[in-house]
Amino acid sequence: MKLKILCLAMLLAGVSAFAQTQVSGMVTDQSEIPLAGVSVQLQDSGEGTITDFDGNFSISAQPSDVLIFSYIGFKSYRVTVGDQVTFSIALSEDTEQLGEVVVTALGIKKEKKALGYAVQQVDGQSMAKAKEPNFVNSLTGKVAGLSVKNSTDLFQNPEISLRGASPLLVIDGIPDRTSDIWKINADDIDNISVLKGATASALYGSAGRNGAIMITTKKGEAGKMQVTFNNSTMFQPSFIRVPDVQTVYGNGNLGVYEYEDGSGSGTEGGGWIWGPRLDQRDPSTASGYFETPQYNSPVDPNTGELIPIPYTSRGRNNIENFFQTGITQSNNLSVDWGSEKASFRMSLSNMYQKGIVPNTDLKNTSFSVGGSFNPSDKFQLNANLTYNKQYTNNFPEVGYGPTNYLYNLILWTGADVDVRDLKNYWREGQEGYQQRHFNVSYYNNPYFQAYEYLRGYNKDNVFGNVNFQYQITPELSIKGRSGVNVYSLYRTYKEPKSYVGYGDKSLGNFSLADTNYFDITTELGFKYESDLTEDISINGELAYANYYRNSTYHETSTDGLNIPGFYNLDNNAGSSLFGNNDLIKETIHSVYGFVDVDFYDTFFLTFTGRNDKVSTLPEGNNSFFYPSVSGSLVISELFDLPEFVSFAKLRGSWSRVSEGKIDANNPYSHIQAYEKGTSWNGTPSTYYGNVLLANNLKPETSDTWEIGTYLRFFQGRVGLDVAYFQSRDYNNLIESPISETSGYTSLLLNGDVYTRKGVEFTLDFAPVRNENWRWDAQVNLSQYRRYQDEIYGEKEQTENFIRVGDRTDRIFADIYQTNSAGEVVFENGYPISDPYKRYIGYDQPDWTYGINNTISYKNFRLSFLFDGRIGGLMYSTTNQKMWWGGTDPGTVNQFRDDANAGESTFIGQGVKVVGGSVEYDVNGAILNDTREYAPNDVPVNYINFMQTTSNGYNKNYHYYKETFIKLRELTLGYTFSDGFVERTPFNELSLSLIGRNLWLSSDIPNVDPDSGRDNLHAPSMRSIGFNINAKF
Amino acid sequence: MIKKNITIAMSTLLLICSGCSKTEDLQSDPNRVTEVTPELLLTNIEIEAFSTISLSAALASRQLSYTNGVNSNQYYNWQRSGFGTYDNLKQVSKMVEASAANETEVYQLLGSFFNSYFIVSLTETFGDVPYSEAIQADANNFTPKYDTQKSIYLKVLNDLKAISDALASNEEQLLGDVIYGGNILQWRKLINSYYLRVLMNLSHKEADTDLQLKSRFNEVFSNPGKYPIFESNADNAALLYHNIQGNRYPLQNDNDLQTAYFMEKSFVERLQELEDPRLFAFAEVKPTSSGNDPMDFSSYGGLYGSGDLNQNTSEAVAGEASRVDPRYFTDPVNEPSLLMGYSELEFILAEASVRSWIESDADIHYKNGIRASMDFYGISEVDEYLANPLIQLGSSNQVEMIMTQKHISMFLNTGWQAFYEQRRTGFPEFNTDGAGALNSGKIPKRWMYPANEAVNNGDHLTEAINRQFPSGDNINSIMWILK
Repeated sequence: MKLKILCLAMLLAGVSAFAQTQVSGMVTDQSEIPLAGVSVQLQDSGEGTITDFDGNFSISAQPSDVLIFSYIGFKSYRVTVGDQVTFSIALSEDTEQLGEVVVTALGIKKEKKALGYAVQQVDGQSMAKAKEPNFVNSLTGKVAGLSVKNSTDLFQNPEISLRGASPLLVIDGIPDRTSDIWKINADDIDNISVLKGATASALYGSAGRNGAIMITTKKGEAGKMQVTFNNSTMFQPSFIRVPDVQTVYGNGNLGVYEYEDGSGSGTEGGGWIWGPRLDQRDPSTASGYFETPQYNSPVDPNTGELIPIPYTSRGRNNIENFFQTGITQSNNLSVDWGSEKASFRMSLSNMYQKGIVPNTDLKNTSFSVGGSFNPSDKFQLNANLTYNKQYTNNFPEVGYGPTNYLYNLILWTGADVDVRDLKNYWREGQEGYQQRHFNVSYYNNPYFQAYEYLRGYNKDNVFGNVNFQYQITPELSIKGRSGVNVYSLYRTYKEPKSYVGYGDKSLGNFSLADTNYFDITTELGFKYESDLTEDISINGELAYANYYRNSTYHETSTDGLNIPGFYNLDNNAGSSLFGNNDLIKETIHSVYGFVDVDFYDTFFLTFTGRNDKVSTLPEGNNSFFYPSVSGSLVISELFDLPEFVSFAKLRGSWSRVSEGKIDANNPYSHIQAYEKGTSWNGTPSTYYGNVLLANNLKPETSDTWEIGTYLRFFQGRVGLDVAYFQSRDYNNLIESPISETSGYTSLLLNGDVYTRKGVEFTLDFAPVRNENWRWDAQVNLSQYRRYQDEIYGEKEQTENFIRVGDRTDRIFADIYQTNSAGEVVFENGYPISDPYKRYIGYDQPDWTYGINNTISYKNFRLSFLFDGRIGGLMYSTTNQKMWWGGTDPGTVNQFRDDANAGESTFIGQGVKVVGGSVEYDVNGAILNDTREYAPNDVPVNYINFMQTTSNGYNKNYHYYKETFIKLRELTLGYTFSDGFVERTPFNELSLSLIGRNLWLSSDIPNVDPDSGRDNLHAPSMRSIGFNINAKF
Repeated sequence: MIKKNITIAMSTLLLICSGCSKTEDLQSDPNRVTEVTPELLLTNIEIEAFSTISLSAALASRQLSYTNGVNSNQYYNWQRSGFGTYDNLKQVSKMVEASAANETEVYQLLGSFFNSYFIVSLTETFGDVPYSEAIQADANNFTPKYDTQKSIYLKVLNDLKAISDALASNEEQLLGDVIYGGNILQWRKLINSYYLRVLMNLSHKEADTDLQLKSRFNEVFSNPGKYPIFESNADNAALLYHNIQGNRYPLQNDNDLQTAYFMEKSFVERLQELEDPRLFAFAEVKPTSSGNDPMDFSSYGGLYGSGDLNQNTSEAVAGEASRVDPRYFTDPVNEPSLLMGYSELEFILAEASVRSWIESDADIHYKNGIRASMDFYGISEVDEYLANPLIQLGSSNQVEMIMTQKHISMFLNTGWQAFYEQRRTGFPEFNTDGAGALNSGKIPKRWMYPANEAVNNGDHLTEAINRQFPSGDNINSIMWILK
């Protein structure tokens, strides 16, 4: 027995020693240009290598092995080794991109040619390199129809809209209704598939009505164990846009400075920056400059008076002096391994982001494990689990107001205040009680704010899923999936004594808030797949799904603090604590299914249907069905097209999707109830809301149709995808305004009809592709519009003055009265307000675009992305406040000097009424106008004029064009050649230099229009850094 | 083995799913109530009705001036007001519903008073407004017709009378009352006193036979047993503030009040001329006189309401203007907010005596009113002031004298009543002769209707405008009570 085993072992060893030979060769394209980086793999063992820069490869194999050559853009090629030891392989380009597979709803991979709707995929690799704080920022400009408006503030969500609405986020097939984009680590993303329309995402039910962003995470790959290390380090050393403020005049009003004790009347006034000229020469003083007592003057020990000090522009570099260099550093280590039977991947990531504001940061750590195993050919089991922690002791508050850094730093601080002087932020002798600042009525010392006004955030996320599939017969499988999203969020709000909110000088406060969230989505279904004939195949699924959510929220706060700086509820100064809490439960039961039919690989048809029963509508109206159908026709298979057309298809789809939830954050919005009112000296109160719910609320519905085409030309080197869609939104759950005299401001009912329309183009081309060079470019372009089709209640117009047929983004603004020639009408030197709002433009941009280029030369790779928007208006709070407060450089003029000297010399351009009158109907249309005019000739004080008008009538009432172009991303990468890497411990090594947000050109001054709105956000920063990616 | 795997996988999924809730189990909101008792609504209604502290009213009433830009209340170029008060009327209707469901009457009676109070404030603002058909959204009336101002006042007078009678015999317990702590007698005093205010609002309509102002007024005044009215400041219809979050004096910590609001010049000069000690309770010594005796009238100054903004700002910057007394922006309790005070009632009685609506001594009521006002500010030494020849009710300009005192007594309190009294009588004179005057030097008589009403109830609105105002919806148009 022993002998037999020994013999067998020897025999095997012999065979193996004999058969394991080194084979080598060269891979080229059809024109014999060598291809570098082609994957060469053994079919059975999964072991493999890649071709070097000259297309050469070498691998040990047995004669029975099958070699698989694969390369992006080319058809893969298989060959059995046999006796051959050298190979010369010429891959042919995959001109039809038949191999192009994209991830569609429910995680089902489909060939792109079979799709009847628009899907665009983004490779995860590009995101891991040029790191942004979250992955959504990295999608900007890369998907036609997906608009990402990025915030410049730390830890603020970008505004994402897909075809004008907010899409669903799906992680490995499980919808994430918490939409936490910070919990996904970019290093773990294999690819992102954007399902643009309702048809594409109809299978996700109501939540998928506005399309979906599907994230597929990386899985363990078959082959030997691979360890990958990825580091990105980015610095934010400079600004691409920051408010440009004047440094000629300082704090004060009407040319007078009086900020001495930081609190008072007189010129302290509204905290204006309409003070005296800075840096005025005065030979009579020691410094040679005009001197006056200031807030930081030394005190004369004899008299107790403040000693005058020079009034100069010592704070002209406040921005540079206050903000620090931001850093974003991320490290990821992942290990993956796989075989035929199982695979495994684990990943550990840490991102540290240091804000430009001192004492602000964000830490984001993720740990994920996942794997799959196939105990038999018929059974497959996968699981994934991620733990993520987001943590900061302090991140800046955003939005215009005294909690905003720019507000306190430059918008409302003149250049006579040097921010460096403010580092000592407690008033002497009043530490803990009174901040030290030049003005303590309206503003906060920025250092006081950074180190004492603290916003803590601590979130623990756990999410993951388990799924299995078992093949009962060759055609029929059973599959199931269950995924959870769990988080707990703990937030603290620490407010020091003397902190200034509007009209509120804080007595010190401490609040804490916690949220506990749990949701689970479970699906169980059958899958059928069959080739009916050689040319007709059919597959489909039928499943039951359940979604359940349970979350609690609780908040408690003090009414003042006893001991300063001690942040504990026990330190409450008031008679009682204030608090509130809520509990939210929601469920959806669904049945859904789809059928795919494929005829002759040329005609493709898909039908889907889903029925939801929701808890968020009254019983009786809460169960609803919606279908979709989509089809694709490969024309290039049907007809002989001209030589230059290598592939052509037409697609079309129609869907109906209903939504049964009124308010995304409150599943009980269909229940009319009382609200908690103010409690007066301990006596509680309630009140009834101002929205009346109609009876029989139904789900709202969108019918969408879409057509598109996908074409490839010139052996596939140029591709064009065009999509046009139109949605009719009806039965909308709206708050239809009613006369307030009826007791409510609006009725919540099913009403109004809107049409949404849009067009999207994606053009990709490879102008250069030769031995050393490869240049790929992609252009994305899209437009989106929404129109009012019907107004509920047969009204002529909505409260926003939109009439049937109008775009719904028309902006009506408060403006000044004008005469028929468009001249502004003045009374007593000031423009007269028009009692009726008037149309001044559209909100939405005309076009959103992105232009992405990647140029490779040998081992170098350069890519750059420009993107931007064209058209549309945005209101600018920053610009309005700059004109109002006296910081805009445009306010530096002779009129201002005159005003400082007490002279009224400014005459606004326009007319005054010298006779007659005007009558309007209730909508503001002029019924009768007998006004006569003369040019306005009443001089007023320039400063009073600006404080009253903010120069709005010269600046389109501060609605600015949103048009801009931005150099979003620039990376230069180098991949070390195999020859070099072999001498190191690495298998692969690449280095990249990265720049993001590098350059901006826009119509609007002082603010970066990227975020699409301006409520005084942080300066827009340039990000520059590097990335190291190593595989072991 | 395989079977085992499948069993585990499927049973896990099924287990998870068996924990799911049915949709019908989640049809009640755990965070809000759907039924309430009436007192919970009463408290909120009282807070709404009795919160009358308004800087805008003080600007329009020439008590304060503002320097951070051209303010439309001060320069009389305002345009629209809103219909938010209708929400209060709805809260009242909900309270009445809850009271009926509870089989109590007292909340329904108070509800009727609040309805009257809120609708009067609406009609005083605009003119004709919906009332008889208002608050009927529950009955699917979303476009109520507008009632004439006269019919509104008639209904208010009849209602107030009726509830006063009904309350006299009501012995139910009143809960949730943060004004009088459930004291029904004091509510009856308020309702009757307020009834007299409403009658006096209509003084232009003395001859109107439908209204019967004189006899109505007399009926109450001459029946103090049946119709008790305020007898002292202890009866004031006042909301007291407390040093609790959300319950503090609304102007406490107000930065604008500390830096951009100043006393109005003509108001300060009037108080100086009369040597009125209330000036020391209203205002702070002007900066240029800081260190001077705060009881010296010349230590105070103001900014001219219709003055050129540049001029006013320069004077403020130069320290020539007084701010309000710091208690307004530092004291969380400060003074109560009045819906109506005892002093106002006495001035109404004084005016009614002058107008011969009642037979009573105008001078006694007039001086009672002054005394009550002084008392409100904690000023006890009033005899010297009452003896001042300048404040004695003569025989020629009695109404002016009464209204001047009423105006002083309503400093930064009692909402827009001081402005409406001036609108009704022309006293005291509000200056519009300064270089900064707008609205062609006119004082507006009303506010334009809210813009959304044209969209949501346009036909009824147009009809109401056409029947009242030949020149359209305009701030200078004259409403019925002023004709």
